[in-house]
Amino acid sequence: MTKSADTHCPYCALQCAMTLKSPAAPAATGLTPAVQPGSGPVPAAPALEVSGRDFPTNRGGLCRKGWTSASLLQHPGRVTEPMFKGPDGVFRPISWDEALGRVTAAVKDARARHGADSVGVFGGGGLTNEKAYQLGKFARLALGTSRIDYNGRFCMSSAAAAGMRAFGLDRGLPFPLEALDTASTILMLGSNVAETMPPFVQHLQGVRDAGGLIVVDPRRSATAKFTSDGGGLHLQPLPGTDLTLLLGLSHVVIHEGLLDADYVQARTTGFDAVVRSVNAYWPERVQSVTGVPADLIRETARRLAAGARRGGSYILTGRGVEQHVDGTDTATAAINLSLLLGLPGSARSGYGTLTGQGNGQGGREHGQKADQLPGYRKITDPAARAHMASVWGVDESLIPGPGLPAVQLLKSLGQPDGVRCLFVHASNIAVASPDANAVIRGLRSLDFLVVCDFFMSETAAEADLVLPVLQWAEEEGTLTNLEGRVLRRRQAIQPPAGARSELWIMARLAEALDAPSTYSDDPETVFEELRLASAGGAADYSGIDYAMLDSGAAAYWPYPAGSTGTPRMFVDGFAHPDGKAVMTPVAPRRRRTSMAHPDPAAKPMTLITGRLLEHYQSGAQTRRVAELLAAQPEARIQIHPAAAAAMGITDGAEVSVANERGEVVCRAELSTAIRPETVFLPFHFPELESANRLTEAATDPISGMPEFKFNKVWVRLAVATPITSLLQTAEAS
Amino acid sequence: MSEQIVIVGFGPVAARLVDELLPALRAGQVGLTVIGQEAEAAYNRVLVADLGVGRTTPEALALADAAALVADGVDVRLGVKVRRVDRARQSVILSDGTPAHYDRLVFATGSRPVIPNLTGLNPDPAAPVLPPGVTALRDLRDAEVLRQAVAGRKRVVVLGGGVLGLETALAAAEEGATVTVVHNGPHPLGRNIDRGGGTVLSASLRNCGVRMAGNARSTGVEHNAPDGGFSALLLDDGSAIDGDLLVLSCGVRPRIELAEGCGLSTGTGILVDHRLRAHHEPHIFAIGDCAEVRCPDPACIECRTARGPSGLVGPGWRQAEWLAEYLLLLSEGAAEDVDSLPQLPQEKPGVVVLKARGMNMAVAGDNSADPWDEEVLTAGAVNGRPRLQIAQWADPEHGRYVKMTTRGGVLEGLVSVGMPRTAGELVQLFERGAELPTDRSLLLRLDGPDQLASAGASNNPESTVCRCAGVSGGKIAEAVTGGCSTVAEVSASTRAGTGCGGCHEDIKGLIEKHFQGAAA
Repeated sequence: MTKSADTHCPYCALQCAMTLKSPAAPAATGLTPAVQPGSGPVPAAPALEVSGRDFPTNRGGLCRKGWTSASLLQHPGRVTEPMFKGPDGVFRPISWDEALGRVTAAVKDARARHGADSVGVFGGGGLTNEKAYQLGKFARLALGTSRIDYNGRFCMSSAAAAGMRAFGLDRGLPFPLEALDTASTILMLGSNVAETMPPFVQHLQGVRDAGGLIVVDPRRSATAKFTSDGGGLHLQPLPGTDLTLLLGLSHVVIHEGLLDADYVQARTTGFDAVVRSVNAYWPERVQSVTGVPADLIRETARRLAAGARRGGSYILTGRGVEQHVDGTDTATAAINLSLLLGLPGSARSGYGTLTGQGNGQGGREHGQKADQLPGYRKITDPAARAHMASVWGVDESLIPGPGLPAVQLLKSLGQPDGVRCLFVHASNIAVASPDANAVIRGLRSLDFLVVCDFFMSETAAEADLVLPVLQWAEEEGTLTNLEGRVLRRRQAIQPPAGARSELWIMARLAEALDAPSTYSDDPETVFEELRLASAGGAADYSGIDYAMLDSGAAAYWPYPAGSTGTPRMFVDGFAHPDGKAVMTPVAPRRRRTSMAHPDPAAKPMTLITGRLLEHYQSGAQTRRVAELLAAQPEARIQIHPAAAAAMGITDGAEVSVANERGEVVCRAELSTAIRPETVFLPFHFPELESANRLTEAATDPISGMPEFKFNKVWVRLAVATPITSLLQTAEAS
Repeated sequence: MSEQIVIVGFGPVAARLVDELLPALRAGQVGLTVIGQEAEAAYNRVLVADLGVGRTTPEALALADAAALVADGVDVRLGVKVRRVDRARQSVILSDGTPAHYDRLVFATGSRPVIPNLTGLNPDPAAPVLPPGVTALRDLRDAEVLRQAVAGRKRVVVLGGGVLGLETALAAAEEGATVTVVHNGPHPLGRNIDRGGGTVLSASLRNCGVRMAGNARSTGVEHNAPDGGFSALLLDDGSAIDGDLLVLSCGVRPRIELAEGCGLSTGTGILVDHRLRAHHEPHIFAIGDCAEVRCPDPACIECRTARGPSGLVGPGWRQAEWLAEYLLLLSEGAAEDVDSLPQLPQEKPGVVVLKARGMNMAVAGDNSADPWDEEVLTAGAVNGRPRLQIAQWADPEHGRYVKMTTRGGVLEGLVSVGMPRTAGELVQLFERGAELPTDRSLLLRLDGPDQLASAGASNNPESTVCRCAGVSGGKIAEAVTGGCSTVAEVSASTRAGTGCGGCHEDIKGLIEKHFQGAAA
């Protein structure tokens, strides 16, 4: 029998709709015979046929990652049994009973010796809503720890904090994606959708035809190139100056009388303070800081104002402006600008942030954040705690208080009062975290590390125990896309015999740990509990159920029981008690960066990290897809030909990029798309090519977001291969 | 008891200092008194000309909110002057007779406009009483005078070819006034700019509708207007420039009388060391336009080349930020921490960027040398120090001019007229002290049209047509040869065009190319 399932892509937050079909005959069980061992990176024949499905977000389109996603289902490198690392450092398969017994023992041991907070959990924005929800509950009730956070801290935390501060609520896009189709002006800051979510680009066609696409990016990215030929404007500020640019735009809006005074009066508070705070950022002064010409700043402000009066204006932010130590303030400056122009909560305009990970939206709502309970509730709010205690049927005192945000959590690994036993889910922190070398050292200093993954990722390789879990086509569940629309993920194929769902793993461990409350391994049962848990919260899912989603209903949260959901938010008011949006004055902070000069031949440059079309996040999945790996087999550092020439670097030459945290050695790619003082490195690659060996674990004081987009590095031609030099050093010492 | 800080003056620089001190004030660490002579709390003086031409509103100029500051516990005194400073008692005595005790006193008294020595103008710089129809455009009241002239489409004469004069002239002309700029020398901006840049700048100003009267020496003003006000500016060649309003834009002079009166050392401004302390007076500081950083050490190399106050607000704001940190350390009383704060870095020569719509100009540093001026270029090149190098681009027909004066690849001077992106890049390269690309022409091409715009599918079969699915032109051509004749068929066969759909036109082009070839 041929099984076909309508589901969504396993990768990014656009969650392109796709249909999975088993190819004709032999897959009666859904499984083709195992691939021969030792077959290396040769692609397994896809177990499933992937095709794009018509849906408002992707309109049938898929990118290369989506098309090739099924090739991972029967990849020869897949982990299909629990793998335990012995004293000899070699992984050997063990039974599930033994695996769960070892985890239980490790947890009990850590708790007995160091207290409950010595057990930590690191979650991910790729987990389904059901898993994210149950993971938070499992950590707090079954493990009794406050130490849970997730990799969304590296993506969405700044925009989320800014949205909370301004609107009282954070939903990435508070409007359906299709609303962009008819906009007159769209300002995109620090987002390269042409590479990161290509089918999204369809929604920019209208604004490009209208000449109203304005892209802010230090690189002439694929998205920035859409502004040529009359598509719009490209503003190319120096890295780290986005906040100043936004203050300059607000300055022009105020001083040229472009603001929507009635809206500001009726729907916002804090206007006067914002006026004073942007006063000092007149366009020529902003030009001196950012390098963006004053007239281009004025033109941008005018187009935004004019667009708001015609087809609509949208301001969208991405990681480029958010992944900074002042990311929350930068997102706030973008929101202030949008409020001055009267965009949020209006009929045809808005502000939004483009969520990155597959369930980056849902993942930040259901309680896997250190400071949060399900329904986007605050863990310090007594009413929220009482509500959750009643849903879970436990005493409120059993729910721990706030834990540590991701960077601090990772810094605490192996430390005296830190985490000694760590669970990692849907995350490859050894590659994706800032200051990755330090994170790897932390992982190695743990008493016990258990990683749930379907591949032996760089993080899994550091584990004591790897638990094999399911891939997207093998499971049921829900995800919430970048618009806040809840989507169904559906099973198309049977999983390998030895793999288990995280829900099952949590349920079994909870049992073994005599945990209070209940833990189900059935997604729909968990979702029903999630509905109750979220009821009355900010992200209210109580009116949504599987049957409704399966009928094709477009369910945008907040969706309280009895309502019809909320495709466009804030129309009647914002989520603060007085219904008004809060404008908070922000200003660039001074940064003191000093760095020793390691090598006179090296030049100081600014490193930006980011993504390529062919790869997703740490690359743990996409580097295993032969077609994608062939297209982008290695990290290449993008450098301007003028800068390269001064250092004797030619296209394809080996380059060393270093700072006090580490060194990356990779090939150079000469490109005029980048500014001469800046280099770009994708972060999808491990080891010597791991960009995050260079990023700093400094964090935003409000959101805990690390600094990924503005790091000082020294760049030079690599003279000797570093491995040789390392060996020589080792011998000499 | 918390340390009492008194700030004399409430302009933009004082406002920044107050902002920076607010958290400590709220925490009870310091007490704060601000004394402003004007009735308004600090506003953005840089934008007074914009206000004068009706481009912005007084509300939008506010940099501080007196009521909010009072609510925070700041003692705000507006509309009063400081009569004198009693250093022995650490007290300032105000014009209303009240005293204010200080532990630390900060002068932020700013500057006042230079009133040129012209017959018909009161030459006393300390108490200028300007006749009707003459303004120095310094405060909100002056802005109102200009606003009425511009609204009435009157004739405005701007005396002075400095950047503020040019900005006022451009704005007023664009808003409908008839404007003449009267300046010394062959071009405006005097020695800030070189001959080429100045000449192109002059021409550009004329194109913007501003009349330029160069090489002019003014001698007096005529008051023949019906109300006895200004009617003409008289020049030394016997000619006169008629007008309804004279805007004096002849530079500013630090306000130092109060400091002089209490015996502090002064030069052009109040002399302060690298920690902004008045000489030999640990309780008194000065920042902004009234401060002149020149330390008492005669051997200090930095101070040998130091200039007087720049008259720009940027350095003042940096001083305010630095001083706030310093004052807070002082109030904590930890001597080690105080000493560990690195002293205020020396200011680079100021960057002058013309604030104007539709016209772009930036100058900075020393631009006096010419490319073939061998003697000047090599003059400073001793002890291995590289010589000066000049790169220059002149296109007067199109109002464009760029000059980069570098030493060791780093800018020592720059001029950019009519090249907005080049100006933006050069200014921040100058500010950062960063090295220019060896190929200087790279910086000129930034203002050109977008390079290599997507001009349809490339002829190279290897090049990617569909980025989303990673499909080359060659693959698509193969599919077409193999029988695909529509975009949909090509998409089904190769996945090209199945992502964002942006390449559909290119695919169509390849299909058409194939069938045209077949027909031929």
